[in-house]
Amino acid sequence: MPAISAEGLERAFGELKAVQGIDLGVEEGEIYGFLGPNGAGKTTTVRMLTTLLLPTGGRATVAGHDVVSAARAVRGSIGVALQEAALDPLMTGRELIRLQATLQGIPGAEGRRRADSLLERVDLADAADRRVGTYSGGMQRRLDLAAALVHEPRVLFLDEPTTGLDPVSRKTIWDEVRALNDAGTTVFLTTQYLEEADQLADRVAIIDSGRIVAEGTPDSLKAEFGNPHIAVQIADGGVADAEEACRRLGPLLPPTDARTVAVEVESGAADIPRVVRALDEAGVAVESLELVRPTLDDVFVAKTGHHLLEEEDEAEEEQVGK
Amino acid sequence: MSRLAANARVVRALGMRSVRQTFRRPQLIAPIIVFPTLLLAIQTGGAGGAINLPGFPEVQGFLQFMLAGAMMQSLMLAGNSGGIALAVDIEMGFTDRLFASPIPRFAIVLGRLAGTAALGCFAALWFLAIGLIFGAEIESGVAGALLAIVLVTATAMAVGGIGAAIALRTGSASVVQGLFPLVLVVLFLSSAFFPQELMIEPAKTIAEYNPLSFVVEGIREPIISGIDARATLEAVLAILGIVALGLGLSARALRHRLRVG
Amino acid sequence: MQTPAWRTNLAMIGALMVRARNELVRVPGAAIPGLLAPTIFFLGLNGVFGALTQLQGFSTGTYESFIVPVSMLQGAGFTGAAAGVNLARDYEIGWVDRLLVSPAPRWVLLAGTVLAASARALIPATFVLAMALALGAGWPGVDGLVVCFAMVTAMAAVAACWGSFLALRFKSQSAAPLMQTGMMALVLLTPAYAPLALLQGWLQDVARVNPASDVVEAARQGFVGGVTWADTWPGLLALAGLLLVLGALALRQMRRTNA
Repeated sequence: MPAISAEGLERAFGELKAVQGIDLGVEEGEIYGFLGPNGAGKTTTVRMLTTLLLPTGGRATVAGHDVVSAARAVRGSIGVALQEAALDPLMTGRELIRLQATLQGIPGAEGRRRADSLLERVDLADAADRRVGTYSGGMQRRLDLAAALVHEPRVLFLDEPTTGLDPVSRKTIWDEVRALNDAGTTVFLTTQYLEEADQLADRVAIIDSGRIVAEGTPDSLKAEFGNPHIAVQIADGGVADAEEACRRLGPLLPPTDARTVAVEVESGAADIPRVVRALDEAGVAVESLELVRPTLDDVFVAKTGHHLLEEEDEAEEEQVGK
Repeated sequence: MSRLAANARVVRALGMRSVRQTFRRPQLIAPIIVFPTLLLAIQTGGAGGAINLPGFPEVQGFLQFMLAGAMMQSLMLAGNSGGIALAVDIEMGFTDRLFASPIPRFAIVLGRLAGTAALGCFAALWFLAIGLIFGAEIESGVAGALLAIVLVTATAMAVGGIGAAIALRTGSASVVQGLFPLVLVVLFLSSAFFPQELMIEPAKTIAEYNPLSFVVEGIREPIISGIDARATLEAVLAILGIVALGLGLSARALRHRLRVG
Repeated sequence: MQTPAWRTNLAMIGALMVRARNELVRVPGAAIPGLLAPTIFFLGLNGVFGALTQLQGFSTGTYESFIVPVSMLQGAGFTGAAAGVNLARDYEIGWVDRLLVSPAPRWVLLAGTVLAASARALIPATFVLAMALALGAGWPGVDGLVVCFAMVTAMAAVAACWGSFLALRFKSQSAAPLMQTGMMALVLLTPAYAPLALLQGWLQDVARVNPASDVVEAARQGFVGGVTWADTWPGLLALAGLLLVLGALALRQMRRTNA
C-alpha cells in the first residue's frame, strides 16, 4: 500500500480551483518532491493531505487512512513542518518540543527524553532553554523539523522547508532529510527550488496551476524532455537575424530575456561550432555563448510554455545550488 | 500663489487624506461610535432613576442628560484614534516622506486633525440623531444643536492634538493605543456621566476642576435647557486650554522627531 | 500498558494551559490591561453613580458592595475575550495549524484555551475585590466569596468560548472589538448598575431575559445580604446554558477550520 495516494484530488475556493484533479502515489520510504512556482497549488495539496483543508473533490489516503473519514488517524501518523514555522516566540525550544510530544499523546517522561534527543540531533541542545523568539531563521526551521519528528511519524510532510534560509542552514536541513529517509521515513517535500528537488527527491512531480504536468525521477524527466541547448547573448540589434539563423539548426526555446536566443541541440558541445558558423554567416554579433544542460526548469518549460523561475528568482536559485 | 494659500492647499490635501482614511475603514470607526452608543444605552437604562435624586438638573429624561457625555466619549476615542493613525504613518515611514517634502511641518499635524474633526462632527450628529429618535429633545432647537456640533468638533481637534503629540513623541501605535483606558479615567473624573454635585468624593472634587467638565457642560446646556453664555464661554476657554496644551506638546514632539528621525 | 485516553487528554489540556500562562509570566506588564479595565470601571462607576443608593429600592447603602461583583464579572468577560484575541493571533501566525495537525481531539484544544482563561480571570477579580474591600465594600462571607468566584471563573469560560468562536470564524484579530463588546453587553444589560425594579423599561425587559442577570444576582448576593440556594442555582443554570451554547458554537467552528 502506498504511503500517500491521491485520486482526482481537488480543492476549489469559490470560483478559483487551486488544485484541479491530482493523482499521485508515494511509496513507503520514498522522498517525493513536489516542485512548482508560487501559487501552483503545492501548499494547498499539502494542507489537504495533512487534513488541514477538506478536499472539494477526489480522495486521498495517508499511511493507509482516508484524509476525510479517518482524519485523526492520519494526524497520528504524520509529522508536519509547514511553510511558516509557526513557533511560539515566548516558549523555549525544549518547552515547544515537549508540548508537541504531549499533543501527540506521548507520556511525560518519554516525551522529555525524546525532546532532549531531538534537540541534540538538530544541533539545538545549547539553545534549548532559550526562547524561540531569539532563534535565527535556520534554528527555527530545525526546531520545527524536530517538533515534527517527536512521535517518530511514518510520513513526514515538509512544505518549502528551506525557503529563506542561508546555504549552510539549507544544507543542514537536506542532510537531516536524507538521514530520516535512510532510517525509513517517507518524505513528501514541496519546494520551488530546482536544485532541492534534484538533490533530494527520488521522484519529482511538477505542478503548475493546480495540475501535475510531469512526474518521474529527476534524471528520467530531464532525459525525456531535455536536450541540451546553446544560449547565445546577442549584441544590440541582431536578435531577429540570430533567431532566423538558429531556427535552421534546431527548435528554439522561449527566450529568458530580450537579447538571448536559445536553440536546442542534440550532441551538446559538438554542436557549438555549427551555431557559431551560422551566426557568423548571418552577420550577428555575439556577446557570449553557453552550453546549457537540461534542468527541471526545461522540463517545466516544455510542459507549460513558461519558466518555473523568473529572473529575480534565479539569483536565489544560484545560492541554493552553492 | 501666496504662501498662505500654498500652505492651505497642503493642509487641505493632507486633511482630505486623513478624512478618507478615517471613513474608509469601518472597522476603525465602529468602536468609536458603537462602544459609546452601547454604554449610553446601558447607562441610560441602568442609572435612569437618577433623575429622581434631589439636586439632579431638570431634564426631560436621563438620555437627554447623557447625550453630551456620549459625545465626549466618542470624541476622546476619535482623538486617540487619530493619534494611532499618525503613529502608524510614522511606523510605515509615510511621515518621513512628508518631512522630506517642501511643506510646512505644522501641516502634517493639522492635516491629521482634519480627520479627527470629521469624526468628531460625525459623532455629534450621530448622538443628536440617536437622542431625537429615542425621544430626547434639543431644548434650544437648531441653534443649540449647531452649537453642540461646533463644540464637539473643536474639542475633537483639541484632544486630537494631544493624541498627535504622543504619536510624534513615541512613534508607536501600540503605545498610543495603550492610552485608551486613560480616556475612560479622565471621563469618569468629569461630569460627563453624572452631575458633578452628586458624584462621590474624590471624583467629585476632581470633576469640579477637570477642564473636560466645562466642555461637557457647554455641550449639555443647549440640549437640556438653553444656550447659556457662561457655560459656552467656559467651554470655549477649556477647549482653548486643551488646544494650547496640544499645540505646545505637538510642537515639542515634532521638533524632537525631526531631531532624532 | 497504554495510557488511558482521559489521562492523555488531561495532560494535553494542562500543557496548553501552561503555554497560555507564558504571556503572563514572560511578557512584562501583560497582566496590566486585564486589571485596568475592570478597575477603572469599578472606581469610575462608583465615583459617578454612587449616589444611586439613595434611591428607594437599593438593598445596600454602599454602591461599592453593589457594583463590585459586576466589575469582577466584567474582568472575567475581558479576560475571556482576550483569550479569543490570542487565539486569533495564534491563527494568524500559523500556531493553530500546529495544534490542528496533531491528533489531539478538538474539544481538548478548546478546553485548554477556555480553562486557561478561567484561571487567569482570578487575577483581576481578586485585585478588584481587594480594592473594593479597602474602599468600604461589605465582606461577603466565605460562602458569598465562593459563589462569586465560581460565577467569575465560569463567566470567563463563557467569554473564552465566545472569543474562540469569533476567532475561528473570522481568523483575524480584527474581530477583537466584537469579542469585547459582546461580553460587555452580556454583563451590563443586566441589573448591573441598579436593581431590576429601578431599571428603565426597555433595559428591564432585556435584563429579565438575559441569562447573565441571574449570574450577576448570584455573584452579588453575599455582598448585599445572605447567600441562599434559591439565588444561586439560577446563576449556575444560566452559566451552564451559556457554556453549552457558546461552547458548542466554538467547538463546531474548531471542527470546521478545514472547510
